[in-house]
Amino acid sequence: MGEGAVALRRRLRQLVREHVPPDFLGAFTADPADLAVAQSFCRRLADEGLLCLAWPEEFGGRDASAWEQTVVREEMWAYHEPRGAQYMGVNWVGPTIMRHGSAEQQKLHLPPIAAGEVIWCQGFSEPNSGSDLASLRTAARRDGAGWRISGQKVWTSYATMAQWCFLLARTSKGARKQQGLTIFLVPMSDPAIEVRPIASMLGPHHLNEVFFDNLAVTEADVLGTVDEGWAVVQEVLAFERVGIARYARCERLLQAAPGALGDQWEDLPDELRGRWARMLTHCRRARLLAYRVVGLQDGGQVRAGDAATYRIAVTRLDQESAEVLAEIVALARTTTEDAVRFRRAVDDHRRYSVSATVASGSIEMQRILLARALLAAS
Amino acid sequence: MNTELSDEAAEYGRTAQRAMESAGGDDLVQRAEREPDRRESLVGPVLAELGAWDLDPRGSADELEAAAALCRAAGWWALPYPVAERLARPVGGSAEGGWGPDGAGPDGAISMDGLIVVSAVGPAGPVAGLDRRWAAVGLDGRRFRAAPRPAAEPPRRSAFVTELDLEPLDGGPLDLEPLDGGPFAVKGTGGGRADAALGLVLSDWTLLGSLDRAIALTRAYVLEREQFGQPLARFQSVQFQLTDAEVERAGLEELAKYALWSIAIGLDEALDDALALRLAAIEAAETVFRVAHQLHGALGFCDEATLSWISRYSQPRRRLPVGRSATQDLLARSLGRRGLTGPFSEVWA
Repeated sequence: MGEGAVALRRRLRQLVREHVPPDFLGAFTADPADLAVAQSFCRRLADEGLLCLAWPEEFGGRDASAWEQTVVREEMWAYHEPRGAQYMGVNWVGPTIMRHGSAEQQKLHLPPIAAGEVIWCQGFSEPNSGSDLASLRTAARRDGAGWRISGQKVWTSYATMAQWCFLLARTSKGARKQQGLTIFLVPMSDPAIEVRPIASMLGPHHLNEVFFDNLAVTEADVLGTVDEGWAVVQEVLAFERVGIARYARCERLLQAAPGALGDQWEDLPDELRGRWARMLTHCRRARLLAYRVVGLQDGGQVRAGDAATYRIAVTRLDQESAEVLAEIVALARTTTEDAVRFRRAVDDHRRYSVSATVASGSIEMQRILLARALLAAS
Repeated sequence: MNTELSDEAAEYGRTAQRAMESAGGDDLVQRAEREPDRRESLVGPVLAELGAWDLDPRGSADELEAAAALCRAAGWWALPYPVAERLARPVGGSAEGGWGPDGAGPDGAISMDGLIVVSAVGPAGPVAGLDRRWAAVGLDGRRFRAAPRPAAEPPRRSAFVTELDLEPLDGGPLDLEPLDGGPFAVKGTGGGRADAALGLVLSDWTLLGSLDRAIALTRAYVLEREQFGQPLARFQSVQFQLTDAEVERAGLEELAKYALWSIAIGLDEALDDALALRLAAIEAAETVFRVAHQLHGALGFCDEATLSWISRYSQPRRRLPVGRSATQDLLARSLGRRGLTGPFSEVWA
């Protein structure tokens, strides 16, 4: 990974140790203090130039290597993403605005993202458009010099806390459903937008419905070219190709299990410790598959099949490791503070892992992508 | 950490695969099965041409990578010869407590043509009928001189596996009873553990080659075979099975490269890494061959289908020295409380 990446990992761990409470389980809880921790941590990262490490220097970044970006992904996810929802702004909203935004949009949106001061949500999925995203129905109709948007989005993470929405809407009917889609950057404070939280096993803030009731927007809110938003969406998905380093949290929790259980570790059934060892192997496997994709991207190659292979392996790992960890903590008495913290972390991991094969592109979509690559290759 | 094979090693692997094809390809294993006494003469020339026995996988990372690439090519063709075992042979200068100069044991009287990794229970290897001198190493790192017994079954049923009689080389007793901690506890000397790691990893590179082939054969078959008026490959249920197999194969490939790298740079935990690879290899083989057979239908069982041969001759690599449960148990015992080495090995704060 290189010396820079190693030093970066060390620094990030130090910052987490100093600024994130040991019992932090992410910003998305009922306790506003957790969101405050994430907001403050983002500002801290921004102060050190670590929040937008991957951005080009001209936009305030450091042009970080692919491996440094990998370290950030791993460390942040391992420690329950102390950037909160801001990873979306940093990872793909900002870079997309850099590529397709007007000078005014760049001036308006990039500095707050770089400073860790703004949260974005993604208005893509709809009640009848999940994996088949291009079939979406939220419509933007011409209204004088601007547009009026009506429709409904669903599963919109962080919508209750977001200031802006990266919204995909239909602006015309094309010959193909991928045509006639446009991206709008809209402020969530507009009274024509209503957010309704959806109670779920994932915890607060993860899932919401968002209703747009004749929302007025202007040409200045359009990102890129009208009717050609699908190409931008494809780019967004490409930014997310490696996706979350889920293996990092799995690996951290699995490695921590013997220490957290203390002497009770030796009392576990041999078979369960065997499954623990197997999961560690699967963590390494997923990490190496991720590194393969990163290495290829670093060399300028993009192979959808490799990325899909990693995504399938890592999302399954997330769920399988959660099952093993849940079984481990169920057999242990939580007699120490460390053990209590560990149990809560495992419980959080287990609840969230249920969504791993659904969120950010379902495992079925990844299989379709991999099958396409496998069967098309000569 | 750069686990990619060098361009030279990768090219050597491709050259080896082509050379084995020219020497008979899929026909080699079929002829060896019909005429088991000829198996050395069937494959010996092509391996010699490839310079296989000039490779010193213990001597340099480059040659270790070349050896791995050669094993992978051998697995692709189910080459009827213990290439991995021959390449893992003990040579002078092996780690501490080593085999002594010229492959001699502590008694200084023997040299070895190959190394077989064995379990304490039922030591065996795919070396039936070969007039060679074999060493063996247990998963606990103990070393033996190994004498293959005459094959009890024809190769059609045994895939050239035969039982071994062992005689200790490390000066210890011939003790095949369980060590402390369980039936397959990993203890023993550094040198022996390094031997076991090398033997396991080269065997798993061979199995990887067989999985490469099984996927390639299955892909070709589902693209060609039509049912209900369209190729099987058009059915999503078929596609998804194939992707599940490929994820396993691809993951195994990355772990195989990692375990090789671990040996090359001499990590203390190289045997843990080899066991982790071994566990993943057995799991991957289960999935890949189950899918490959399912998608080939009845044809896959038949001698006319190459898959049938690759599948049958993958068995020794999947079962020896121990199978899935025992490997998992071994790995867990070896790891103890410390886990596998990685970015989060020592973190809980």
